[in-house]
Amino acid sequence: VTGPGIPWYLAVAGVLFATGAAGVLLRRSPLIVLLSLELMLNAANLAFISFSRLHGEMDGQVFALAVMAVAAAEVCVGLGLIVAISRRRLALDVDGFTELRG
Amino acid sequence: MITNAAWVCLAAPLVGFALILLAGTHISRRQAGILSTLSVFVAFAAAVVGFVEMLGEDSEERAHASTAWTWLTGGSFSVDLSILVDPVSMTMMLIVTGVGGLIILYSNGYMAGEDEERRYFAYMSLFVFAMLMLVMGGNLLLLLVGWGLVGLASYLLIGFYHDRPEAVVAAKKAFIVNAIGDAAMALGFFLLIAKIGSLDFDVAFTAAEDGELSQSTVNLVALGLLAGAVAKSAQLPLHTWLPDAMEGPTPVSALIHAATMVTAGVYLIVRTHAIFEAASDVQHLAAVLGALTLLVAGLVALVQWDIKRVIAYSTMSQIGYMFLAAGIGAYDFAMFHLMTHAFFKALLFLAAGVVIHHLAGEQDIRRMGGLRKAMPFTAITFLIGTLALMGMPPLSGFWSKDAILASALALGGTLGIFLYVVGLIGALLTGMYALRLYLLVFEGAPAEAHSGEAASGHAGGHGHGEGPRSMLLPVGVLAVLATVGGFVDIPGLISAFSSWIDPVAEPLVNPTVGEDYGTSAIAVIAGLLGGAAAWAAFKSGRELVGRPAVRRVLEHKLYFDELYDAIVVRPAQQLAALLRDRVEAPVVQGSLDELAHGTQEAAGGVARIQTGLLRTYALVLTASVIALGVVFLVLR
Repeated sequence: VTGPGIPWYLAVAGVLFATGAAGVLLRRSPLIVLLSLELMLNAANLAFISFSRLHGEMDGQVFALAVMAVAAAEVCVGLGLIVAISRRRLALDVDGFTELRG
Repeated sequence: MITNAAWVCLAAPLVGFALILLAGTHISRRQAGILSTLSVFVAFAAAVVGFVEMLGEDSEERAHASTAWTWLTGGSFSVDLSILVDPVSMTMMLIVTGVGGLIILYSNGYMAGEDEERRYFAYMSLFVFAMLMLVMGGNLLLLLVGWGLVGLASYLLIGFYHDRPEAVVAAKKAFIVNAIGDAAMALGFFLLIAKIGSLDFDVAFTAAEDGELSQSTVNLVALGLLAGAVAKSAQLPLHTWLPDAMEGPTPVSALIHAATMVTAGVYLIVRTHAIFEAASDVQHLAAVLGALTLLVAGLVALVQWDIKRVIAYSTMSQIGYMFLAAGIGAYDFAMFHLMTHAFFKALLFLAAGVVIHHLAGEQDIRRMGGLRKAMPFTAITFLIGTLALMGMPPLSGFWSKDAILASALALGGTLGIFLYVVGLIGALLTGMYALRLYLLVFEGAPAEAHSGEAASGHAGGHGHGEGPRSMLLPVGVLAVLATVGGFVDIPGLISAFSSWIDPVAEPLVNPTVGEDYGTSAIAVIAGLLGGAAAWAAFKSGRELVGRPAVRRVLEHKLYFDELYDAIVVRPAQQLAALLRDRVEAPVVQGSLDELAHGTQEAAGGVARIQTGLLRTYALVLTASVIALGVVFLVLR
């Protein structure tokens, strides 16, 4: 099988992860933060699969499936919260929610 | 067979106690009383069966031990749950269950209409069980268990009227004073365990007799035992609780604070006589304490106005005689006086209870008087008790008290003469206070205060005649016993009681018949003189003790309470207050406060990290991961 070598995939995963992290840190809309989190998770998935391919073992791919399941659950909860917030006509701004301040 | 009967005797009151406790409100108050009475009479029947059996045995082979199981083990030290039945404990069993049964029967009438009778009868059964445990215990530890349990029952029953502050204070006082004695006794036992590794009667007595223990050890152990006996039997200097204990119901005073529990100290000395004989100084100390107590209590009794307190002081005084006897080694006569005293003192208390019941709770003898016409039966029985207490022939007190005095004379020496003289003075005092009480209550003109009240207040109550039959029957039986109880031991003729006790505790003194009757004559004259003084004072309407200064001292009970208050109670309270202000508040409470405050402060500081800003958390997380990554890469 030909195509780009494993390092390329890892590079893409790194870029995706950095993009996601930047999104989480910089954006204020919870929806975008959630999207960025998904990006980070899938970057990790890509890295898992790349290494799986590199080492010729299936563990990484199994792990990627598990991560997808967790990510799906997480999206359910996260989107549910966001919908609940917008239903109450609150501003969709993560900096606005500081009830947990000590 | 004897041991089986003894186990039944021990278990029956406990079963009665448990049943009343478990049945709760499912049984009526009367049923609780009947259950309690039955349980004690079953015990009495068992004791009689054992007694008859024991009479048929050879006099040297009357001691029976029975072990149920090993109760405690610790290294080489072990204690069995065992009982010892011999003539001494058999005598006590018969007195405790017999007199106890009569008094509980009496309680059925006396306590009718009180609140919380079930609790009362449960406690009474518990007391009888505890007392049996004390006298039947097969080793010193079980004796101590019974010792503590009777103290508990006494505490609960003195404080039975728990809505009366005086009763609660009196209960507390009795418990604390007894705890002093219990602690001293326990220390003596610890010493025994340390030295001989056993609390079995045989082992301890053999060690004491064979001189295995050093003299100082034996003295300390005997002192511990004596302290316990003195506290329980209300002897000087730990006697202050007994007069106050009269706050309890009258049958309780009769059973616990006259007939049985307070004589436990005498039983203890007789039971452990081997230890006391090895420590003869301590034994003589017991005799001297008894002599002093009988003098002090007799004097104080002269000026008391509360009918029950007069009898309480006479109890202390009579137990003083028993201590005197036990202290000079006249164990048989100590037990003899214990038995006759149980009869006539229970009689006096129960008859006084009939009077108190009749007068709707009146206890002040200044408001009595002239009751003989209204209550002829009570008056006669009370007079029998009074004469027995004074030692008038042929009533029971005559035989036992004079035997003690004769033993003191037979002992001779300075100590013997001292005890003899004090005992005779005591007989004089007894005549004075005993007859004074009888005359003030039953003779003369009725006091105005009660004459109307007794007639009107009681016509509708539970009084037709002198009282319910359940109260008069025990009084009658005890009057008979107080009359004939002394005939078991008549010097020169019958020595049934002495030869019954002697195999267990061989007496150290044996008065001759001449000493016996000589002493009797003098003691009877002393008692008659005292009685005559009381009679003369009564006739002329004077008080026995006229001089105001002397009176004041006696009314303050020789200032013992004030003394203890000054040297023990108040310093203890001040120390407690000082510790509360200087140690508890600043140190204990303060350190806790500081700890809580510090934790709160620290939490406040840490809480500032929690901004609540989601992106800050994310930044911290990311930064941490990067930092970790860098560290990982650099340090690899």
